Amino acid sequence: MAAVTFNNISKRYKDGPKAVDDLNLEIADGEFMVLVGPSGCGKSTALRMIAGLEEISDGELRIGERVVNEVPPGDRDIAMVFQNYALYPHMTVRQNIGFALEVAKVRKDEINRRVEDAAEMLGLTEYLDRLPKALSGGQRQRVAMGRAIVRSPQVFLMDEPLSNLDAKLRVQMRSDIIQLQARLGTTMVYVTHDQVEAMTMGHRVAVMRKGVLQQVAPPQELYLRPANLFVAAFIGSPAMNLITADVTIEGDDVFVSFGGHRLRISAKALDRYPGLRERNGTKVIFGLRPEHFAMEEDLEVGDDQVLTVRCDLAEAMGAEVHIHAVVDVPPPAVDGAPIAAEDDPEALVAGTKVIARVDGIHTIAMGQDVRLAVKTHLTHFFDPASGAPLR
Amino acid sequence: MSVRRKGPKATAIRVATYVLLVCVAVVVVFPFAVAVTTAFKRNTDIFTYPPSLVPKKEATIPAADVGLEGDPVPVYSFPDRDDRPGQWALVDGDASLAEFRPLDDLERVIVLDVKAGEKTGETISIDGEEEDVYLVDDGGAQVEAYRSRLTSGGLFVSVDDPSTSVLDLVNFATPAREFGPRFSNFTEVLAEKDPETNGKGVGRSLTNTVLVTILVVLGQIITSILGGYAFARVQFKGRSTIFLMYLGSVMIPFVVLIIPLFQLMLQVNWRDNLVALIIPFAFTAYGTFLMRQFFLGIPAEIEEAALLDGASRSTILWKVMVPLARPAIATLATFGFLYAWNSFFWPLVIINSGNPDNAVLSLTLSTLGGRSSTDTNLVFAGTVLAMTPPILVFLFAQRYFVENSASSGLK
Repeated sequence: MAAVTFNNISKRYKDGPKAVDDLNLEIADGEFMVLVGPSGCGKSTALRMIAGLEEISDGELRIGERVVNEVPPGDRDIAMVFQNYALYPHMTVRQNIGFALEVAKVRKDEINRRVEDAAEMLGLTEYLDRLPKALSGGQRQRVAMGRAIVRSPQVFLMDEPLSNLDAKLRVQMRSDIIQLQARLGTTMVYVTHDQVEAMTMGHRVAVMRKGVLQQVAPPQELYLRPANLFVAAFIGSPAMNLITADVTIEGDDVFVSFGGHRLRISAKALDRYPGLRERNGTKVIFGLRPEHFAMEEDLEVGDDQVLTVRCDLAEAMGAEVHIHAVVDVPPPAVDGAPIAAEDDPEALVAGTKVIARVDGIHTIAMGQDVRLAVKTHLTHFFDPASGAPLR
Repeated sequence: MSVRRKGPKATAIRVATYVLLVCVAVVVVFPFAVAVTTAFKRNTDIFTYPPSLVPKKEATIPAADVGLEGDPVPVYSFPDRDDRPGQWALVDGDASLAEFRPLDDLERVIVLDVKAGEKTGETISIDGEEEDVYLVDDGGAQVEAYRSRLTSGGLFVSVDDPSTSVLDLVNFATPAREFGPRFSNFTEVLAEKDPETNGKGVGRSLTNTVLVTILVVLGQIITSILGGYAFARVQFKGRSTIFLMYLGSVMIPFVVLIIPLFQLMLQVNWRDNLVALIIPFAFTAYGTFLMRQFFLGIPAEIEEAALLDGASRSTILWKVMVPLARPAIATLATFGFLYAWNSFFWPLVIINSGNPDNAVLSLTLSTLGGRSSTDTNLVFAGTVLAMTPPILVFLFAQRYFVENSASSGLK
């Protein structure tokens, strides 16, 4: 087992932008680190650089104490699980799992013992003599895992290993992988674009965007204290509502107003975002997670903390209802804000979409006006020009 | 099977389709069937009328059936003679006979034992010759006839009733024929070239062809795998340029290359040598292209996984890529086999001293079936021998054409 350290790592492709730009990241020994970000953010490139499948343009990569920039993949003592599993189609499960050991010229009986141990751990014992094509997706996934653990490597690398499974299996495999990692205690680097996986699996999560590391933090901190607008918008599902709003400070009270609405912000939010005080009379980006709303009858707040919107769409999810509405302000156009505004010029005209998550007992009709109480003490504030939080 | 269209119109279309397919199949298969059956025929059996697809021999029955000892006796019939129904065994092909011609119908011939007939004492002049007049038995009636000829002929015994026998000229009887393939066509055509035994020397050519074909196919497979893999997955300077040049060589027709290649073979002293049939054909741009395309289609992750498992390039190639490329290798082997097996013109040019020891099958067959050929059955036997291996190879390899195992390890 070993730590993995990125020191000023960059990856530049010929006549392309940097896929990874000056990455500094320390993954501790035995840590479960998740790299997350939208497609093209450089997370897979970073992983493949650890594996040695991509050359490193700049910087220094260490596994343990060893600088591995020039070490070929086979000599790095790492194992990788690929998105499409990359099983050897012509080999049985046993041969697939044992291939690395066979290449390393381990004794036959030793190979058999270790393959059977790994199969036992993953519940694959009865499939050992089947070919991959005779296995289901979940079983193939486990064979790929078996191929990784049988070598007892220093580091596990996983490249979106669950994205080809159906939703139910994905949840199950997710917990299996967490338990496996906890039991083996091996350093794990896990790449995903699914922020739910990132939040549930990692000890720490590294959020990347366009090759640049945005924030590394334990999942909950990432959620509660996003380092910038991008992390705020990316983590959480449905995503955080980001609204451009005017700030007015009247004595001790702070008000935000946008599209004809006006909300009084609880002083607790000011404790978390003291920078807001200096923004009197300016615009900020006001962030509200969907669960920061409740139906007015469920939450006792003052009238000045209620937002009245017309429901465009109500998605009943069972335990909760998602209310989609639009407030009449242009969506924030700052770098890092949700993609919709960047790609779709129409959205600028159409106003900012807001999603509220309220208790599932409510029946809400489309087109109906709803009064939403806002937990203003939990709100976030960002600079409209840089996207930085107003801490 | 999916749900098919129903109704009378759909049925009619389906029936018409099958009728058409069957017709085409018959047209295609018929010449092949003629070749195969002819290979088993006797030479005398090939041009009989009406023609028959079934190889036949002259029928015999065991000698004991007609109360004799020794070899089986041939069986004949008399289709023109209503008074001699059924089959007749020729028990003596050299019986002494006399031909009589009745005086009232000199065109007719009555064949009888040489001792038959009684002289009436009269004579008659036939074409200026004095002939005795005999009184002979003609189907029960006594007629006057003269003895036109003494000859030898056959003593036939009825197969149904061995006590009945007749004498007649053998060529008045029609030999009965039965199914009888002649397998010795094959041994004769394979045997060493020898006018005494009718050997045609195809065996030696067959050995040469098998040798040449195996080596050419092996060479093509190995060079194409190595080249194809390099072009598909190994980064090196000038890769695409070299590949384009290599691929461009496919466009050069072989006829253009014959003279330079011949010169080259002269220089290295390979004229009239089997090596000249092997080495120039152990490399194929087409095969390299085929393997390259196939290797490109194998997901890079499989190779990367092997790389992470610590496998070297050669381990990856032979233990991972090659087993996955079996369909492409089978295709390549089949094409290489057919090409090497059937190639005619180049062997004709380079194996040109008439030395039969270095001849290949296509050359030997062409001389065997040449203008002066008389042994049609042997020509066809040689043809069938030459046809069989490619057919077997195709049948064996075809399941690989459809199989594509490369993607099944993925999602």
